[in-house]
Amino acid sequence: MKRIMIDYMKCDGCKNCTAACMQAHREEQGTIYDLDLTDPKNESRNHILSDGRGGYRPIFCRHCDLPECVMSCMSGALSKDSVTGVVSYDVNKCGSCFMCVMNCPYGVLKPDTLTRTKVIKCDFCMEKGGEPSCVKNCPKKAIWVEEVQA
Amino acid sequence: MRHVIIGAGAAGLTAARRIRELDSTAEIVVISRDEHVHSRCMLHKYLSGERDERTLNFVSPDFFEKNRITWIKSAEVQAIVPDRKNVVLGDNQMVCYDKLLIATGADSFIPPVGDFRTAGNVFGLRNLSDAQEIVKHIKPQGKVIIVGSGLVGMDAAYGLLEKKMDVTVVEMADRILPIQLDEAAGNEYKKLFEKAGCKFILNRKASETILDSQNNVSQLILDDKTVLDCDVIIVAAGVRPAIACTIESGIDVEKNIKVNEYMETSVRDIYAAGDVAGMSGIWPNAMKQGCTAAENMCGNRTAYEDTYAMKNTINFFGLVTLSLGRGQVQEGDKVVIREDSKCYKRAIIREDKLDSVLLQGNMDYAGVYQYLIKNNIKLKAEDDIFKKSFADYYKVRTDGQYEYNL
Ligand SMILES: Cc1cc2nc3c(=O)[nH]c(=O)nc-3n(C[C@H](O)[C@H](O)[C@H](O)COP(=O)(O)OP(=O)(O)OC[C@H]3O[C@@H](n4cnc5c(N)ncnc54)[C@H](O)[C@@H]3O)c2cc1C
Ligand code: SF4
Ligand code: SF4
Repeated sequence: MKRIMIDYMKCDGCKNCTAACMQAHREEQGTIYDLDLTDPKNESRNHILSDGRGGYRPIFCRHCDLPECVMSCMSGALSKDSVTGVVSYDVNKCGSCFMCVMNCPYGVLKPDTLTRTKVIKCDFCMEKGGEPSCVKNCPKKAIWVEEVQA
Repeated sequence: MRHVIIGAGAAGLTAARRIRELDSTAEIVVISRDEHVHSRCMLHKYLSGERDERTLNFVSPDFFEKNRITWIKSAEVQAIVPDRKNVVLGDNQMVCYDKLLIATGADSFIPPVGDFRTAGNVFGLRNLSDAQEIVKHIKPQGKVIIVGSGLVGMDAAYGLLEKKMDVTVVEMADRILPIQLDEAAGNEYKKLFEKAGCKFILNRKASETILDSQNNVSQLILDDKTVLDCDVIIVAAGVRPAIACTIESGIDVEKNIKVNEYMETSVRDIYAAGDVAGMSGIWPNAMKQGCTAAENMCGNRTAYEDTYAMKNTINFFGLVTLSLGRGQVQEGDKVVIREDSKCYKRAIIREDKLDSVLLQGNMDYAGVYQYLIKNNIKLKAEDDIFKKSFADYYKVRTDGQYEYNL
């Protein structure tokens, strides 16, 4: 399967990946220049944490080999594709219980801020051809896609 | 090899799926009392009319076909006969097994209050069949009494308020959701429910019933002699592991079926998983136990390790809460409370370790807390518990998976 690999030492916290994720998942079409970064409708699926000492820790969904989120989903909305390895989320099935948020050990997931009805979850940009926008927009090559053994 | 699974719930179907992944030729039979596969955690959405039999399904519509599983539905296992390696269904049909998994979940506990156990309008809420009966019995603006304000009781109230029913919740504790929430957090939900028209009677127990000529409870009397009129009563006073089919089977059972870490019962080739095994009463653990049972049924000796079960999330009216741990303060504990207009947080730290955490209003990225508790991770004196994140333990393995760097 493919996974977004991370070299956090290279990350300088510019959040280009975060803006790219928001842009890729925005509802209304537009360019990055008219993307409203403060609109809670445009939430990013990744986030960058500071280590408090000038360094950064990129938090990206791992599409885990044994995904705890899938193993807690009571509606069948979360599932791991046996071929692509992608852990995908079906908003129509989701029952908004947020047990997946509680169970992702890495704190990747959150309920959507506006309605608390859906989960903000990386989809590997599958609808956009499976080339994650975050990766394409990282100027430091701190994240890249690699084929890994699942 | 023929695997027979009793129960089409979280544990049963997770096991069935895993067995198929592990063994492409095994024969798999699932037997369930349920006519439709459904997620119990969404039954309130059936009460409200938001979902139906089809959309309560938590597996794909072609699950049984795709995984080549024989599903015997609407069938109750009456007995298990280990000597002959078969189970007996209600119509005396017998189903043989090589390996058997009991994943029968739990039944609503209806306390012997007045005529609760025999009246025609008193229901538990555990199965879709319960929800179907409730929906059949309710009339517009009808009076519903819910006994118990735990998660199931509040789910029922939530669903029926959407239906514009006249809902009263009777609770014997002095606050709602007493196990999951403290008073402050419980009160936030109470206010939201009251705004939606729900009434609460706290510190009171149901004690007697008055029947009408059709054997329905028309009035419920509380321990202080308050009389409440009602059309329907929903009893949400806890559950009991569904062990009926194990009676006389020789399987070691007390309140629940006893299993070891491999999900094996005391009888060879018989396994149990989920609520019936008594280790937990929540969905995620039932799924994982089902998965572990499947591994062992297929010969992969695998111990069940994720025994932490004091965890819940709540989402009513868009107010979300995460609750981990018992939430009870002991002498010497450090209690940290933080509040703002949108959020209430409380943590109990015992001997430098996180014991319980309650986050209401915002649970973004809060998955790390469960890991901290489960793994007994020592906190530092300078740590701000509400600022903990995976960044504090960050490690990326060579295959890209994250790992806690402790
Ligand atoms: C209203 C409600 C809300 C809930 N909300 C949550 C929540 O938000 N989060 C959470 O983690 N948990 C929640 N739970 C609990 C969760 O649903 C259970 O922990 C979970 O379903 C347990 O799975 P299980 O496979 O052990 O049993 P179940 O899902 O109960 O499945 C048992 C299966 O066994 C079958 N069965 C039983 N006896 C027999 C028999 N003799 N013969 C044949 N078939 C039989 C039943 O028909 C059913 O198919 C909720 C429960 C309820 C009732
Ligand atoms: S959400 Fe968390 S548990 Fe689920 S696949 Fe992503 S990293 Fe793994
Ligand atoms: S919030 Fe949705 S995706 Fe997450 S566990 Fe609940 S039903 Fe599944």
